[in-house]
Parts: sequence; structure tokens; C-alpha cells
Amino acid sequence: MADAKKHTGRAVVVLVGLVVLTAPFWMSGYPVYVLSLVGIFGLVAIGLNFLTGYAGQISLGHAGFFAIGAYTTALLTKKAGLPFVLSLPLAGVFATAVGAVAALPALRLKNLYLAIATLGFGVVVQKLLFEWQSLTGGGAGLEVPAPRLGPIVLSTAGHMYYLILAVVILGTWAALNIARTGSGRAMVMVRESEVAAGCLGISVAKYKVIAFSLSGFYTAIAGGLYCYLVRYINPESFNIHMSITFLSMIVIGGLGTIPGSLLGAVFYVLAPELFRGIKDAPGLVFGLSLVVVMVLMPKGLWGFVGRLWRRA
Amino acid sequence: MPCLEIRGLTVDFGGIHALKEVSLSARTGQIVGLIGPNGAGKSTLLNCISGLTRPTEGEGRLDGTDLFSLSPHAISRLGVGRVFQHPEIMADMTVMDNLLIARNRFLKYGVLAELLGLPQVRRQEAESRFAAEQVLMRIGLPDIGGIHAGSLPYGHRKLLEVGRSLLLGATVLLLDEPVAGLNEHEIDRMATLLAELRTGGGLAVILVEHNMGLVSRLCDEVVVLDIGKVIARGTPTEVLNDPAVLLAYLGEG
Amino acid sequence: MFFFSLIIGGLASGSLYAMVGIAIVLVLQASDIPNFAQGEMAMFSTFVGYWILQQYNVSWWSAVLLSLLFAAVLGVAVQQLVIRPLLGRPTMNLVIATLGLNIVLHSLAGMIWGNETHVFPSPLSDALPLNVAGLTIPPMNVFIILVGVALILCLTFIIRKTRAGIALRAASQNQAVARLMGISINRAFAVAWGLGGLAGGIAGVLVAPVLFLDTNMMGLLLIKGFAGGVLGGLNSLGGVFAGGLFLGVIENLMGAYISGSFGEALVFLLIIGVLIVAPEGVFGRVRTRKV
Repeated sequence: MADAKKHTGRAVVVLVGLVVLTAPFWMSGYPVYVLSLVGIFGLVAIGLNFLTGYAGQISLGHAGFFAIGAYTTALLTKKAGLPFVLSLPLAGVFATAVGAVAALPALRLKNLYLAIATLGFGVVVQKLLFEWQSLTGGGAGLEVPAPRLGPIVLSTAGHMYYLILAVVILGTWAALNIARTGSGRAMVMVRESEVAAGCLGISVAKYKVIAFSLSGFYTAIAGGLYCYLVRYINPESFNIHMSITFLSMIVIGGLGTIPGSLLGAVFYVLAPELFRGIKDAPGLVFGLSLVVVMVLMPKGLWGFVGRLWRRA
Repeated sequence: MPCLEIRGLTVDFGGIHALKEVSLSARTGQIVGLIGPNGAGKSTLLNCISGLTRPTEGEGRLDGTDLFSLSPHAISRLGVGRVFQHPEIMADMTVMDNLLIARNRFLKYGVLAELLGLPQVRRQEAESRFAAEQVLMRIGLPDIGGIHAGSLPYGHRKLLEVGRSLLLGATVLLLDEPVAGLNEHEIDRMATLLAELRTGGGLAVILVEHNMGLVSRLCDEVVVLDIGKVIARGTPTEVLNDPAVLLAYLGEG
Repeated sequence: MFFFSLIIGGLASGSLYAMVGIAIVLVLQASDIPNFAQGEMAMFSTFVGYWILQQYNVSWWSAVLLSLLFAAVLGVAVQQLVIRPLLGRPTMNLVIATLGLNIVLHSLAGMIWGNETHVFPSPLSDALPLNVAGLTIPPMNVFIILVGVALILCLTFIIRKTRAGIALRAASQNQAVARLMGISINRAFAVAWGLGGLAGGIAGVLVAPVLFLDTNMMGLLLIKGFAGGVLGGLNSLGGVFAGGLFLGVIENLMGAYISGSFGEALVFLLIIGVLIVAPEGVFGRVRTRKV
């Protein structure tokens, strides 16, 4: 019986893997685009999960990191002509620094106070992008050239898809590494009990800063990929609504888990597509689905999958 | 030879004297009992040593190092282990993970090394795992490493917390009611472990307890607190027969 | 002079923030949940009032009263149907559930009443601006401030002096003991959510004449309500009230004197600054956990 389970599990993973690896060859442009978005939001979800899921620090301002990633990458490409292998990591490093600084006022804050402070962070970033027109183009937005590396230009949906896929695979592997080692454990202990963590030789402040920085890094890289995918960015979209969306994504997917992050992204991108057909009521059904998932699956989609798996 | 010395410890919380002029010391190989009615200030005393509460006055030294100016995580890195009244474990992680957290202070790799999965990370993790397995054997629970910590029974959680302090490399152990809520069998098990720690040497222990049988069995010296002040000090027999101590306990009802 | 009119205007918008903040804190204190659906609940009940006003020949006051009744009932309904089944779950889950509810109500309102903007009348729409010491003050602002003050006074009275209010405080502080004293926790929470819904509904009918009635009316107001509450401290109604007022005034002043467009961002920077010094708000008490 256990063998059958293992085989089914393997089969599912292989099937999904095959679909994901070959998608651009047999899917048309729009589905490939949708899958690309899933990858991007998956990275955001992993990043946010480090901060909110593992370390327990709520953030309602992650659209800010996403925007920082998008604009930094866009500007480095457009104004400095950097290849994507430089622009993306540099955007990530910049966001890491911002995250570390942003963590400092947040060290003593909890719950709603932290939520509003992080919300403020997102608002400030958005406003800065609006107002610094000479740099960002302000409300008119910014056109983003295609990512390039020397003579190679990633101009098609298929190209972008594979770049995103590669980053997602790398990012997921790295995230699993963190989860399994000292930092992952420390962040969870900080969430569990700051007092006990301190008494176990763990600097709570240090790990909160690490959580913010790591989170900013992943989210910004995702933002950079996003700007390359959509090729036009505007401060308007990086708003409070987007931050709230990000948070919902990880709770629905499974807070504090990496597979949950990816599942949450799948849900968030695909669900509206499914509901698109329902006349007049995509928002209604989507909102209901949030409530329903919370009622039926307290540990999110990943927890539900786990429960089904154990019962099988 | 670690030596914990507390002198003249006073803690005022806005008009209330939680502790007044309390002095206490513990040497390696010694278990000092700390007893007293509820609200006497026992947990406050432990909190001061752990760095969780700042004293108003007083001196606290571990082998001459001033404790009261340090943060909790600096104090724990000096070797002060704390076992709380209610076990603080990460329920969603395995028992092994809950132990490994205590090894964080010894780890010499950073976030970048973790992200990249560098070999030194894997090596140090393996070393930590080995040390953790040793501790599991020492606390008498050799096979539970892979178990989901949330499913551990209460008694095992308390043993786990003691194990965690050992893995931390504690030379001073602050135990806050380690047998509260345990059944007879579990109490015996904890008592045996604590006795072994005492004979094994290398640890100075401060034991806060209400279980007088345990106190008599394990403690070399007992300090009695009532309303923040030390009202008696001596061997368990002396203290438990002291009329002032009996009065303090009976008087609280 | 201009300065004073900014203050008055700020106090008015601040009162609105305070009302939303009060709605949130009543529920937060009782059931420990930040109700992210509060904004759309208020929007919905305001639409109900508008619909009653349009469909039936009733006075403005009757329509508003019915709208407020609906708001209170909606609050209780949400607590009984959505929150109560989810009690005991992690707070995050409940937050997301209220977010889902927010979206549901937003969509429902759009489906029922459409997405156009409507003019919501008020008895003061034809009133002349007041002239006080050379200042021209819109009477609506004065009305809003007065309602805000009245609301906080009434609620404080209810919480402190009535049986329901005392039961509510007991239930939120210590459920186990409250139960032993014969207090129905469920009833206490229902009262909290009802009062919260009412406070939100009041904010809705007061903001509609000013900002025009449409489905997006309460979106930003909800955020500001939370922000004001955090600024003042979520422990007490008074703190939330003060925080909301302060937020409104500072926002107005910063917008006028520093920068119109960056004003909003500056206000948040200010809030962050305050929180660095006072992590639980200006009037908040830092609660310590016994270990």
C-alpha cells in the first residue's frame, strides 16, 4: 500500500515536471504567460513566507520590495545597459539592503502595529516611485527593454518562461537549504517564542533582519523578472492591494512552507482565470473561495494535500 | 569551574518589590533549590539571571563576568541554560530540529553559505546532528529524533527542554518547575536525569520547585523566598523543618 | 486662519478615521481579530440606506437609521456565520477570511447596485457654511466631529456602565473566568461585532455625502482607520479616537504645508517614527507575557 502511494506520488511529480518543462512547446502564448506569472508569484510567496511564515513577522508592504526589484532591474537594463545576469542579482542585493534597513524600526513591533508599519513602507516606496519622475517616469510608467546577455536577447514568451523557470528552480532549492539549516530553525524559533530563542543563544534582532533581507531579496528578484515579462511597469500597480494579495497567497497556500508558497501562487494566478468565465461574479467567487479555503483547510492548500496524503 | 554568584538582587516593578536584597550562589556539581509560595519572586530571580528582567540593584556574576549588563542571548552563550515552566518548542518541526536549535550558537556558517548549500554547512549540520543524538541518549529518549515535536507527550517535552540546554553547552542550568504537571513515572525519570547531571559534574543547577520530595532528594542547599526576600537558607532538612518556612507556606492560603 | 480651517477639516476626516478605528478596536478587543471586512461592511450598509432612500419615500433620518440597523445586524451576522465557526484557528486564517469577505461584499455591492458613483444626500447639503471668527467652516465637518465625539462618549458609557458592556470587557479579558461568572461569551462577542458594525456604518453614512457613494468609497478609509488606531494605541477606545483625530489633522497639515502628493507617504513615515518610540501606540500599554 505504501509502495503504491510512493509510486503515485512519483508519477504526479514526474508528470507535473514534464508539463512544466515542456510547456512553451505545446501551449499557446497566453497559458505560457500565465505559468510565467505563477513562477514569479511563487518566488514572491517564498520570499514573503520567510518573513511571515517562518519568522512570524507580518508584512503588508511587500509590493514595495516587488516594485524595488522591478524598477531597479528596469533602470539598470534601460539606463546602464546591463545584462540580466547582472541586473537581476544587483536588484536583489539592493532590496536586501533596503530590507535590512527596513527591519530596524520593525524589531520591536508586533501584529497590527507591524502590519501598519510595513504597510507604510509599501506606501512610501510607491509614492517615491510616483514622485521621482526624472528617474522612474512617474505616473507615465516605464518601458522595459527585453533582457539580454551579450548577443542573446530573450524576446519571446518562451524565452522568458525558461528564464523564470530556471530562477524558480534555483530559488526553491536555495530556500529549502535555508529551511533545513540554522537560519530556518532560528526564524521559526523567533516566531515561536522570542524569549525562549534569546535563552537559546539566538539573537532575535539578527534573525528578524535576516528574515526581512532574505524576503526582500526573493521578492525583488521576482519583481525584476516581472518587469522583463510585462515590459511596462507603472507605480500604480504596486499598491496596498497587491501587498494584501501577496499575504493572502501564502496563507492560502500554506503558511511557513515552501511547497505551500508555490501552491499559493498557483491558486492566486489560476483561480481568477477559472472564475473569469463566471458571468459578473469573478470577484465574488474568488472572495468566497478565500473564505471557503480558510474554513475547510486551516493549514492552507499544502496542509490539505498533506492531510489527504496521510489518509490515502 | 563555573560559579554563579548573585548578590543583593533587588527588583522593583513600579512600587512593588518583586525581589529584595536576594543573594544566592551555585557551584559546579551543586544543585541549589529555590522554593517559596507563589508570587515569592522565584521566576523573577530566574528571569534576572537569564537577562529577561533588568534588576533595579544588585550584582550577578558568572565566573566573574557581569551578567546583568548582558542581553539574554549573550548570557545564554556564556553557558546559562534556561528551562521554562511551560516548554517552548516548535510544534511544527521535528524533535531533532528542536534540539539542533540549541547548536546555533556553535555554527560557523552564514546565510549565504546556507543558500548555496556549501559543504561546510552540511558538515556542521552532520556534527550537530551527532551531538544531538548523544543528548537524546543521555536524556533517555534515543529514538524520537524524527518525530513531529507537536505530538510529544508533556513529560517528553520537558525532558527535551533539559536536553536542549545540555546541547547548548550549558554550565549553569536554571530549571523552573521541571516536574510540574508530570505523573509519578515521569517525575522519577526527570529526577534520575537531574541526579545524573549532578554526579556527572560540569553543571551548576538552580532548581525552582514545589515538589518537596524532589527538592530533598536532589538539592545540596535550599534557599527559601517569601514576598521577595530570603527567609531561610540551608540543607533541605534544615529548611523544611524551619517554622518560618512552614508559616510562609501555610500563611498563603 | 488657513491653519485653523486645516485643523477643523483634519478633525473631521480624523473623526471618520476614528469611527472606523473604533469599529475595528471593539472587535479586536473582544475577539482578537482585525476585521478587514469592516470597510466594505460599512459601504454595503450605506448602499442599503441609499437604496431605501431612493425606493421609499422616507426621510433621510429614517433611511439612515435603517441603514445603521442593517450595519449592526450585518456585524452580528458576520460574527455568527463566519467568525464563530472559525474560532480557535490561527489569527492569520481569520484575517484572510475577513479579507475574503471584504472582496465578496465589494463584488456583491457592485452586482446589486452597479459600479457608478452616486450622490448621497445629507440634511446639511443645502446648509450655509458657518462663519466663525472669520473662518468659513463647512457644517458637515462640524456635524462629523460632533457625531464622532458623541459616539465615543456613548460607547465609553456603554462599555463602562451597562451590563452588556461590562460583560464584553470581562469576556475579552478572561474568557474562562467570564464563563464561570455566567457570561455568555458568544453574546458578548455578538454585541461587540454589532457595535463595531454600527460604528462602521455611521462612518459610512457620514463619508458618503462627502466622497460620493460608490463601491470603492471605504477602501482607503479602512486603512486610515487601522493606521489611526495603531498610532493612538489599540488598547483603548480613547487611544484609537485620539489616534484617528491626530492622523486626520496631521495629514491635512502635511498635505498643505509640505507636499500634496507626498503627504500620505509622510504621514506613514510619521507613524513609523512614533512606533519606533512607542511600539504599541502613543497611548498603548506594552503587555508583558509571564514566563
